[in-house]
Amino acid sequence: MALDTSIIAGGWLAAGLTIFLFSFLYKDNPFFKIAEHLYLGAGMGWLFQVSVTSVWIPKIWEPVSKGELLVIIPSVMGLLLLTQFIPKISWLSRYGFTFMMGYGSGLAIPAGLSTDFMSQIEGTIRPFSKLASMTPFSILSSLIVAAGTICVLFYFFFSVEHKGHLKKVSNVGIYFLMIYFGAAFGNTVMARFSLLYGRFDDLFTFSGASYFYATQAILAAMVIYFVIHWLVSGRKPASEEEAA
Amino acid sequence: MKLIKKQIPLAIVFITGVLTLISYYVPHKVSVDYIETMNKWENIVVAFAFLLGLISLFFSHYHKITRKADGWGYSIFVFIGFLAMVVPSYTSHGKQMVDGMLTPLGWSYKYIYTALSGTMFAVLAFYIVSTAYRSFRIKSAQAFVLFVAAFILILGKVPLGQIIWDYALGWTGQGVSAVIEWIMQVPAVAGKRGIMIGISIGAIVTSLKIIFGIEKQYMGKD
Repeated sequence: MALDTSIIAGGWLAAGLTIFLFSFLYKDNPFFKIAEHLYLGAGMGWLFQVSVTSVWIPKIWEPVSKGELLVIIPSVMGLLLLTQFIPKISWLSRYGFTFMMGYGSGLAIPAGLSTDFMSQIEGTIRPFSKLASMTPFSILSSLIVAAGTICVLFYFFFSVEHKGHLKKVSNVGIYFLMIYFGAAFGNTVMARFSLLYGRFDDLFTFSGASYFYATQAILAAMVIYFVIHWLVSGRKPASEEEAA
Repeated sequence: MKLIKKQIPLAIVFITGVLTLISYYVPHKVSVDYIETMNKWENIVVAFAFLLGLISLFFSHYHKITRKADGWGYSIFVFIGFLAMVVPSYTSHGKQMVDGMLTPLGWSYKYIYTALSGTMFAVLAFYIVSTAYRSFRIKSAQAFVLFVAAFILILGKVPLGQIIWDYALGWTGQGVSAVIEWIMQVPAVAGKRGIMIGISIGAIVTSLKIIFGIEKQYMGKD
């Protein structure tokens, strides 16, 4: 099936940008830097358009158009942030920053208290309220969680010198931390590889005849570039190349 | 001058912080309305804070171009990338799909932004492998525990690993997925809970210090 021209063009662009970024694995090169800077600009552009369509238009422009003038107060506080560029009056930006810090701090206390503090303690203790309905293995697991959490907390307790029994308990805490770090590391590795498979899958799609072999063409062009670059500058001594 | 430069900003932190904190625990329409309004205001101020960062980035790259600094040509691509997202957004009114068809914004997002962001993070997979080599050089019992946890997780999430596990440890009657689930729900949770409780205590204390004006580095210098 013949594809729309815009889709083919998109395939070529996506394949090109993907290969440009992957080329860094061989060595730093201008194509990688172009793609890197494009990413920075595109990322900011995306966030800017999100900001315009989800904040500036619905939360500032539309209310003001309807005569709801209360939103002018945060808008002025926001505009004052831009005084950071004028050193003489940059102190005015404090009004915006202090509002953000005050609101953020006020919200962080109950949020941290309920989700990260109380609910974690609750999750550790709650299984012991239904021991009768639990299997011996579940009871053992709950005991391990409770003991492990206490040991980790002892490891982070710096008010007393870690020696004697306290040292032993905090050492056990390190093992639990290591298991968590290992598990988190394993998950991160798998998430990154899943992204990698996704990019390879896209490159495979763009290598088809319907995309006019975009992947192969761009890959061949990159290889030719690196060969020519190697022929031109590869024979120079390393120090000379670095100086250039 | 000290009043408008220091004391009023600190009063804003205190009043906003205390009112937000109290509103969270007061089940009344006034407090609910207050939180909703403040949430809107916060979004607006944050949008301007983003603009501050954007202008700063543009200044930096604009100066690089005008001064013809090293690699100034690449800075042009920052503006091209920005326009490649913003112009289609303007023509598409911020919509990515209309009647099942990609709009110019949807096209830019799919073929430029997704390709770039996906690849940028995928490249990290290669560096993680080299980091793994350094991390997994077992020098102590603790490093061994880290290695075993990570190895089981990686092994268990690929079909080949599951086959190897079944071949070598199938006699135990436990599949690798059950072992992974146990690791994630028991010892890893213990480690995570300790960290989360520690972080929450730190966050609460820092927030209180900010509200009461003890911590005020964010105000900058006079």
